[in-house]
Amino acid sequence: MGDIEDTHFETGDSGASATFPMQCSALRKNGFVMLKGRPCKIVEMSTSKTGKHGHAKVHLVGIDIFNGKKYEDICPSTHNMDVPHVKREDYQLTDISDDGYLTLMADNGDLREDLKIPDGDLGIQLRSDFDSGKELLCTVLKSCGEECVIAVKANTALDK
Amino acid sequence: MENSAVNTLEAAAQVLMAPPNLVSSEQRHQAESVFLEFRSTKNPYQLCREILEKSSSDYVLFEAASLIKTALIREWNLLSADDITSLREYLLSYLLRKEAPPFLKEKLLQTIAVIIKRGSINDGGRERKALLEELEKIILSSPISQQKLACSLILAIMQEYAITVKSADVGLIWEVHFRLKKSFEALDLKRIFRFTVSILEQIVRSGHHPEGEQALLTKQLLTIVETVLCWSHVSPLLSKRLIGAFEAIYESDTAPALRLSINWRDTILQPELIALFFEIHMYVRATPQLASPSLTCLVQLASLSGIVVFASNLKQQYLENYVNSFMNMLAFIQPLEREMLGISDIYRRLVQFFTPAMIAAMPPAFLQNLTSYTCHCIRGSIIEEGVNEDTVWRESLNKFLHTWCSIVHDTDGFSNERLVSPCIEIFMTYLQCRLAPPDGTRGTESSDGCGDDIKDDVEDDERQLHSNVLLTIGAIARKAPAHCCHVLYNLLTDRSKRLESQLQLMHMGKLQIVTGGELVTLFEDLHWILMITGHFLAVDCTEGETVMIPSEIVQYSMSQNANIDASLRYLVGESNSTENVDPILKLVGEILRISTWECAALEAGLASVFSPELSATLSWLLKIWANSYLVPQPSQYSEVLEVAFGRGSRGVAWVVGLVARRAAATLRHLSTQPTAAKHALMLLATLAHSHHKESPLASCEEFLALVAWEAAGSNLPGELRRELHRAFAIAATFAEGDVRNRLLGSTVALQDKLMNIINTEVDTEPVRTLLADTLDCFIGVTEGVLEVGTMDEQFIMLMGALDKIPAIIFRYHNYPGVVLPSLNLLAKSAKRMLHSVQPQNVNKFLEVCNTTFEVYMRWNSGKISSIPQDAEEEAYEDICALMEVISSVSRCGAGCGAEGAWGGACARGLRLLLPLITPPLLALPTLALRAYRMLRDLDHADQVQYIWRGGGACARGLRLLLPLITPPLLALPTLALRAYRMLRDLDHADQLTNLPLEDFNMVITALRVGLTAVSCDVSTLCCDTIVGLANKVRILGDDNPYAISLLSLAELLLMLIIKMEIPPDSIPAAGAAIYALTCVKPALLEGLARQLIEAFAVNDPANVPRLEEAFGVLTNGVLFDGLRTHKLRFQDNFDKFLASVHGFLIVK
Repeated sequence: MGDIEDTHFETGDSGASATFPMQCSALRKNGFVMLKGRPCKIVEMSTSKTGKHGHAKVHLVGIDIFNGKKYEDICPSTHNMDVPHVKREDYQLTDISDDGYLTLMADNGDLREDLKIPDGDLGIQLRSDFDSGKELLCTVLKSCGEECVIAVKANTALDK
Repeated sequence: MENSAVNTLEAAAQVLMAPPNLVSSEQRHQAESVFLEFRSTKNPYQLCREILEKSSSDYVLFEAASLIKTALIREWNLLSADDITSLREYLLSYLLRKEAPPFLKEKLLQTIAVIIKRGSINDGGRERKALLEELEKIILSSPISQQKLACSLILAIMQEYAITVKSADVGLIWEVHFRLKKSFEALDLKRIFRFTVSILEQIVRSGHHPEGEQALLTKQLLTIVETVLCWSHVSPLLSKRLIGAFEAIYESDTAPALRLSINWRDTILQPELIALFFEIHMYVRATPQLASPSLTCLVQLASLSGIVVFASNLKQQYLENYVNSFMNMLAFIQPLEREMLGISDIYRRLVQFFTPAMIAAMPPAFLQNLTSYTCHCIRGSIIEEGVNEDTVWRESLNKFLHTWCSIVHDTDGFSNERLVSPCIEIFMTYLQCRLAPPDGTRGTESSDGCGDDIKDDVEDDERQLHSNVLLTIGAIARKAPAHCCHVLYNLLTDRSKRLESQLQLMHMGKLQIVTGGELVTLFEDLHWILMITGHFLAVDCTEGETVMIPSEIVQYSMSQNANIDASLRYLVGESNSTENVDPILKLVGEILRISTWECAALEAGLASVFSPELSATLSWLLKIWANSYLVPQPSQYSEVLEVAFGRGSRGVAWVVGLVARRAAATLRHLSTQPTAAKHALMLLATLAHSHHKESPLASCEEFLALVAWEAAGSNLPGELRRELHRAFAIAATFAEGDVRNRLLGSTVALQDKLMNIINTEVDTEPVRTLLADTLDCFIGVTEGVLEVGTMDEQFIMLMGALDKIPAIIFRYHNYPGVVLPSLNLLAKSAKRMLHSVQPQNVNKFLEVCNTTFEVYMRWNSGKISSIPQDAEEEAYEDICALMEVISSVSRCGAGCGAEGAWGGACARGLRLLLPLITPPLLALPTLALRAYRMLRDLDHADQVQYIWRGGGACARGLRLLLPLITPPLLALPTLALRAYRMLRDLDHADQLTNLPLEDFNMVITALRVGLTAVSCDVSTLCCDTIVGLANKVRILGDDNPYAISLLSLAELLLMLIIKMEIPPDSIPAAGAAIYALTCVKPALLEGLARQLIEAFAVNDPANVPRLEEAFGVLTNGVLFDGLRTHKLRFQDNFDKFLASVHGFLIVK
């Protein structure tokens, strides 16, 4: 009692692997999982059985974290599933280039200019807010080698 | 002229009924207006007669019939008695003469019934009597089509008198309706009954099988009798509201009991009557449409009660007579499937309405038939389970079991000796249906012979699904404990041996490891035997009830006088000899043996073979057994049970150790099987919970080993770990010393894990998953600690975790998978934790809440996300959790000293939260519902005042919510109800009149919307709110802007009432609202009346005097001073006003 093994943490950024395995029964709603090769957020999890006295299977429904598409899968609860490493980081928006690239500044002051303005309403909102001089904070989602801006928030309330 | 009118109407009807491609919408509108005008024709009787005679258009005929009825009600007072009589006679002769289509016939019959009812106000039923005599003559001698018509008219008249509270015959106040019903009951109901029964008797005696027209007539006669027997004989002493409730039952499927007054004695107690009804049923039973009403009659007769059989000898005689006829019928017929429900209902009602002693005195056939039909239904219902379409068998079985439940529990009914053999028969039948051959018949019943014997698409928990039936089967089995115990023991021994050998062979590799075939059959058998054994040994109580060992079991154990030593040795497996062993211990020993086998199999690596379902059933059985057998009150025990499981006995520690070891093995090896693991955890939680200061579980090494296992990373899914921590926390509360420290170690380990994560620089998916799991486990701790209500180290450790929540949310604000469990932990803790009376704890917790709100807002206010459905759901769940925190804080804050601090916390929370509840989110009904509920909770807890001071958050909340009270939202009934209830409550709390005028106007608009809503609850709430507002506004004077705004509702309200557009049940509240409004400005009602009369004078000058008179009645003798006497007088006047106004104004 009392002597707890130090949990061993691996970093996802090392580039070794974009995913890690996890037993199917230990997955949780609102967590992430790879379905049909895509990183998904689990929105529904239910169990069924192979026969009344059989063993459980897990039925998973997930939404692709990048494009919102829905995927489903079914898997014995004892098996392992791949879970994607997911990162969401906040950047300050400092500029938008003429060809639609964003200039983003991380907390430590590093700049990056490799992300385009997002599609759809979010992109329109982002541009109009930026044009009207608002300071914006962009949330960048990164997983399985893909990256994009998924949320924007006015930065005025910060650091008061 | 009339001819042309008929032609115009027919042409218009043709246009209305034409398909859309042939007529333009303009033509259609024109045609509609022709009929609208027609409907308001004055004195239309001659015209209508003309139409009835000449027209061939169904539509026009129907309109004419409807117009006669409405015009009659409207103009009743203006017509002479002769006119009415001639009209009635005409209608009857018309119906007898012509073969009218059903819809027309029904309308005209209803009209005659209304005439009869209205007429009986003045003539005391004379005309009704004459008409009934006439109808009787027709039934006795006329052609069969006329007989049928006469029956229909009798039914229409009965229908007209039956309902008083919700009667469609407007123009009479309820008191008159009720008086008429009572007089009809007293004068004519019995006469109708006797006459109809005599006709039925003739038909039965004629011996012809009912066919064609004759069958239809028989059906109508039966329906008349059925209606009489289902009639709600309501006592005049009850209030209108209660009578309304009674009448609602009358209209539903299950009729009220047959409670008759003393003057029915000569009819209903005639011995031949009951026999005749059974004879009638046998005569008609082959025809389903006839069998249904006749069986209902029999069911109703089985519930005879009330003053008519007040003397017990009369009751006894009646019962004997009834049961004799009933048994004769059963001896004579082979009941059909559709008759089972009726037969089971007859049994149920007899047992319910007659005393147990009377029932026990019935001839032996009564019990024999009950037994064999119950068994029949058991077989039928189990076949039905497989088909899954109908539930007739299961419903009948439920009624039979209901009957048995009363019989086995009534101590002054049947003697135990008489019950033993029927109980054994039922028990054995059930058991056999559930077991596979050769012991049983499972899987052989289905007609095609190849049916699957084990249903595998069961979604509900099996143990819950069958608990109702099994509860009674268990009670029945306990009436014959010796036999049932013996049977169960033998079955268990046999199956446990088979299981043992199968598992052993597999373990040694001599049998291929496969699931299926024989093993599955064995699992299914065991599953059922264990479920039945569980319900035999103990009663599966819902939480909170005191559980006891059933008295029959204790008595049986005592009567066996077993050798204690031999029994204990058998129980623990030291000896195999069953000689002199207590039978209950034998049974328990066998159960424990099976659980040991399961445990051994799991530990030997056979987890993939063992059935999770069976494991769950075992856990369930051990749970309900432990609940009543381990350490309860000593007086409940037989000596041997006391020695085995009593306080401080060695047996308890041994059993608990065994059970805990098994549960641990299940968790370790079946952690991926949700049902099995869940039930194992429920078992542990029960063991931890039940024994207070001397929990044998806490000191059990097997259980303590689980603490270390979990601390080392158990790999259990999150929700199961949470349950496990709950069990640890509960056990720790009851433990002392070293054991307690070891148990608390589980929480310490959680704390360390949390600190490790917070202190690490690494931010990866596995870390976040671990964090979310750990937070979930703390929810388990919260629930465990607070269930038993202590505040010590556990509390401090919990606070330590809660303390970190703001920092966690700050760091992981982008990861909903972490934010949500954090908020949930806070919400769950707030719900239970705030009962702490120590102010420093409370303040600390409130501080955590405040900081959390602020951190959450900092990252989330004004955030726009790219994937709408995703974002919406995230925000939705977060907000629900936040609202739960606020609601709990406000609830707990009420009644505790430091309201200011609580209110402050609520106010800050609300201030931050409300901007987050954006219109698109509120469009989600559940979220909106919660938002309203939260505001209401705040109000109930009297927090609103503090919030008010704390920054007007309530006003802001209202401003946010009010624009949303729109008609589309009102389409969601519960939501609308919430919203208006909140308004009313705020009004009670004096909040609405404190609003700025602009917001107050918004409230008035919302009320306007609410009044026109169709829901009765909402309009009643609105009226109540108006009353409250009026009482407050009155003080301000009628020229105050608030008063002016409020009074603008009066006209709408009055028009709604007059046009009957407000739900009938809201009428009293609406009356009160009119009175309250008039109190604000006494000239109001007069002004509105004048306005209305002027409007009438233009369109309908003839009715102006009647309207003036009605308004005169309304204000007659009433002072608008807001005092009770006048308020009540106004209500009375208001009823009369409505009755008369609706009488002539109604144009539907």
